[in-house]
Amino acid sequence: MRAGIGLAASYPFRLWTRLTVRQRLGMIVIPASVVAALITVLVIVLAGPPFLDFLNANLPLVRFAVAATAILMLTIPTAFVLIYVELKVIARMNLRVGPNRVGPWGMAMSVIHGLKVLSKEDFTPTGTDVTVFTLAPVVTYMASVMTLLVIPFAPGLVGQDLNIGLLYFFAMGGLTVLGLLMAGWSSFNKYSLLGGLRSAAQIISYEIPLTLSVVGVIILASTKTAETLSLNHIVLVQSGSMLDWFVFKQPLAFLIFFIAATAEANRTPFDMTEADSEIVAGFATEYSGMRFGFFFFAEYVNVFIVSALAATIFFGGWTAPFDWPWSYNLNWLHPGSLGLLWIGIVPTVLLFGSFFFAFFVRIFGGRAWGVWESMGLGLILLLVALGGLVGLAGFIAFDWVQGLTWFMVKTYFFVIVFVWMRATLPRVRVDQLMGFAWKWLLPASLLNLFVTATAVVLLNR
Amino acid sequence: MPPRQPAPRKSKARTTAATDAADAGGRQYASTDDPRIMLDRQVGNLYEPIPPYPPRTEREGEFYTLGDGEMFLNLGPHHPATHGVLRLVLKLSGEQVVDVDPVLGYLHRGVEKICENSDYYHVLDQVDPLEYLSSLFQEWAAVLSFEKLVDVQVPRRAEYIRVLSGELLRIASHTLYMGFLALDLGGLAPILYSFIERDEIVEMLAALTGARMLFNYYRIGGVNGDLNHEFMSRLGDWMSRAAGQTEANATLLNENEIFVRRTRGVGVLDRATALQFGVTGGNLRASGVPFDVRRAHPYSIYPELEFNVPTRDEGDSLARYLIRVDEIRESIKIIDQCLNNMPDGPVMAKLPRLIRPRPGRSWGAVEGPRGMMGVYSISDGSDQPFRFRIHDPSFVNLQTVPALLPGNLLADTMAIVASLDPVLGGIDK
Repeated sequence: MRAGIGLAASYPFRLWTRLTVRQRLGMIVIPASVVAALITVLVIVLAGPPFLDFLNANLPLVRFAVAATAILMLTIPTAFVLIYVELKVIARMNLRVGPNRVGPWGMAMSVIHGLKVLSKEDFTPTGTDVTVFTLAPVVTYMASVMTLLVIPFAPGLVGQDLNIGLLYFFAMGGLTVLGLLMAGWSSFNKYSLLGGLRSAAQIISYEIPLTLSVVGVIILASTKTAETLSLNHIVLVQSGSMLDWFVFKQPLAFLIFFIAATAEANRTPFDMTEADSEIVAGFATEYSGMRFGFFFFAEYVNVFIVSALAATIFFGGWTAPFDWPWSYNLNWLHPGSLGLLWIGIVPTVLLFGSFFFAFFVRIFGGRAWGVWESMGLGLILLLVALGGLVGLAGFIAFDWVQGLTWFMVKTYFFVIVFVWMRATLPRVRVDQLMGFAWKWLLPASLLNLFVTATAVVLLNR
Repeated sequence: MPPRQPAPRKSKARTTAATDAADAGGRQYASTDDPRIMLDRQVGNLYEPIPPYPPRTEREGEFYTLGDGEMFLNLGPHHPATHGVLRLVLKLSGEQVVDVDPVLGYLHRGVEKICENSDYYHVLDQVDPLEYLSSLFQEWAAVLSFEKLVDVQVPRRAEYIRVLSGELLRIASHTLYMGFLALDLGGLAPILYSFIERDEIVEMLAALTGARMLFNYYRIGGVNGDLNHEFMSRLGDWMSRAAGQTEANATLLNENEIFVRRTRGVGVLDRATALQFGVTGGNLRASGVPFDVRRAHPYSIYPELEFNVPTRDEGDSLARYLIRVDEIRESIKIIDQCLNNMPDGPVMAKLPRLIRPRPGRSWGAVEGPRGMMGVYSISDGSDQPFRFRIHDPSFVNLQTVPALLPGNLLADTMAIVASLDPVLGGIDK
């Protein structure tokens, strides 16, 4: 009966059976990692130089691939932050507390939202056009994400500095409506259909004043040096002080842009497409699971993008609002200058820094905090403080950290404004929405364009 | 056009095109692989809100016949904006409402029949949950009707307490109305402010009556329990800032351009139509008829109190909303007078444990937040009402929806239905 007697009686097998689980894992993992490291080294040595040559030969392509991937990776945390900000800010405006259960101040709430969406059933109702139904969220999401490619986050930190950047932005942003229309049509639901048609009418109407409002800025930006639609160039034209921002030169254009952008992002008071008290959830009525999640994320990514574009075009993008002492030299802080002293410095700072903060924890926390707890909290506080110091040093030393900081401050200002509007305003009606676009915004943007062009021609002649 | 005969439903799905054609009343369809057409052909109008029986009336046949470019939209019973389980079958042309067919009865309990099988004291338990946002008024109407049958004199302090608690609940109901109207128009904030205000009143009444929603407080011949310290302290606390809070909540909407534009001129109910339908309450006063049961057919101590009956002539959704805001202000005045003039004395009249009124009939009506709440009861001399009929204002007001909706947009449906303030518990009885 004992078929495997030969193996079971062998010495290695008996040795194996005497090991604990951790020892067995070690016996597997350590040799495996050694082998993996050897293979990696071999691959790098043999295939590295030709691969580098290949990359160098196709540098624009590689750069595009890296930028696109980075932007795709960036959108999920951005959406998480925006969802949390919206939940919390609206709650405060409604005299509620908002999320406060998951993580400190409920900060992990949107992560939990994401996990919930992932774990739900991916349901396709009867009667849907399955292909279109499946593709619609992808189209919407990718159209929103790909507009981020041309937005300059900081000096040198732009996905692709296209010379037709603004045109690319509006072209890609216009594709969003295709996804919504696909969702509305394929869902086999009248509410979805109404939502899809509303979105088509709304977004196409508001594209026109949105684009026209920016043309004035383009004219102003193109007078000085180059004639280009590059967003990076538009930012550089505005660098200097706050008074160089285009919002002061084109206030009407900014107003039109902001209203039209609200409609483009489907935000209150123009959230016709998903008006929950009228057409349930609009185009997303029949969606569940991660497909709905894509729509959900796309909405918030859209808010971020629209805010980023408003900050870029009208508020100077990553430039500082005043003449900031640019890039102070912090070479004396260069980590390499300390050499081997690092071996001693790191544990010393960690230990005594933890002691320092633990001391305050013990004083202010009272007896509830034990020795080890207060040491742990002290270590966390120390790391937070060190992180702040490193960030401050980066802000002083590197212009891209400064640029990114200013850019994010301006962008999140507009994000908060969008959230504020959502918490305050009711929804307009469909015919009022369309009438407003065609009767007011379009003539106003044409007037703005006319006045700008006339002024430029007269003054620059 | 003859009435449309809905295609018969099939018990199981067929697959071949030949049987489909035979099943669909011999009609020939173009061959297609579109799943919607196939499904519709196999199982009849599964995805349309058309009843599975032939039309019973001419109106039904006319309504369920689609014209050129029209479609049905089934709004409810589970819809975010239908205030409960109201179901409206809309006939739309684009987004414009062509016709509407309200379908009621999803909450029908047969309360009137239950009341006829309960004795007079227990009737008050049954009528409580009808208009669950203003349950005291439904009790009040029943109590008023029974007191006429029994012919009992209610103590004056009990009358004052009734008016006091009733006006408080009227404010709570109107405040909630303001919030829900804004919510149906897409505003998120007002409903939460409304609920804060309502919660204070409801907690106050809970201190007085012991319950937050279904109070069961009024009795034949008085009220159940005198004013207590907690109620009075909460009331004083609230009254010190009630007027200011009301103005603040109203300003949030009154001065909002989007809200005003969404409601002005929408769903205009003219004076003649309103009277024809028998509309009462704020909806009627918004159409220019100064009819208030408290003034027209005075009951309780209302003749002694000073308050205005606000009216407006526009008859649109905005006027209906503004009337409610005015009524809140008047109610605060009434509460002030009640507190100033509150007499001492008992709060219950002496009555036997089991009431057997003389045979007769009586009609008791009070002015509720939604209009005239009436109870018509007939006594045959036994301890149970022989007949018990409830006049519910929401039911009457909701009748005007088919007259108001056609010609408006889908989005206006919410502005109109919410401004009429229906409560489905009372409508379906």
